[in-house]
Amino acid sequence: MRSGDTWRVDSSERRLLAESRLIPRSEQWAQAAADRVVELVVSALDVNALLDQVDLNDVLDRIDLDRLLERMDLNEIVKRIDVDALIEQTDLGAVIAASSSGVASDVLDVVRSQTVGLDEFIARWVGRLRRRPYTGPPGPPEAGP
Amino acid sequence: MTARAGAAPPSRSPVIIRESLQGKYAGFASRFTAFAVDVAVSVGVFMLALAAASFAARVLTGKDIAWNRGNTWVVVAYAAWVFVYFAYSWAASGRTAGMALFGVRVVRDDGTDASGRRAVVRTLALPLSFLFLGLGFTGILLGDRRRALHDVIAGTAVVYSWDARAARLRFLSRER
Repeated sequence: MRSGDTWRVDSSERRLLAESRLIPRSEQWAQAAADRVVELVVSALDVNALLDQVDLNDVLDRIDLDRLLERMDLNEIVKRIDVDALIEQTDLGAVIAASSSGVASDVLDVVRSQTVGLDEFIARWVGRLRRRPYTGPPGPPEAGP
Repeated sequence: MTARAGAAPPSRSPVIIRESLQGKYAGFASRFTAFAVDVAVSVGVFMLALAAASFAARVLTGKDIAWNRGNTWVVVAYAAWVFVYFAYSWAASGRTAGMALFGVRVVRDDGTDASGRRAVVRTLALPLSFLFLGLGFTGILLGDRRRALHDVIAGTAVVYSWDARAARLRFLSRER
């Protein structure tokens, strides 16, 4: 509010201005205090003693796993697993290698893969000639492993 | 266990395909090479059978039998053998030796197992696909369901039957 050559500040505006400066600072103090309190409580807490008092079997008995699994999209979870990395980083690969046959099987896999690659190459070129984008081989209605 | 985030990690095995095509319509190369193997196997087995018959005749009668392709009995016997070879293989397991080698299989057009009757019809209709310079095979290249003329007549299709994903896992497991 202007009066002559000087500015007169309304008292309510001044109060709001002060609060706007003080509130963030007080929130920071409160946050720091809360962090410190939590840290002290956690350090004082004996988790092992707490777990000793909890009957985990009883807790597990109360969990309805079927209901839990119904709410989970397992297919989506499995899709997120990088199986290649899993095989490379764990002993699962050795198990698979031990359970499958030897060099002949490898050669057969490679020959089949090469032929399928040729199938896809031909199909892509036919798709280009027909001006129809190739999106992979189709399958019959009952198709599946 | 690593969650897949964004792009897949670079493959160290470009040879083995990542995706399993099991149950999808097989392409031209797989079918053609499988058929070539079947022709070689059927001719080879037939030649061995003729050689065995010649040997038996020489042992039993002391006379040599001269086989040639102009002999009507040889042609009829070969046609019968080829019919049995393909029809029995497709009826019994949906695959011949060549198809088993290249991981393809004959199924009904809805994807279920082919019956004996369809296997017989498919075998009888197979020569029709060779007419007019193999025009009946163009459906494998151009058709949405990759069916040749004899597939259409018999109500069958050919699909991949091997698990490429399992093959890739085997490959990766040996790379370690």
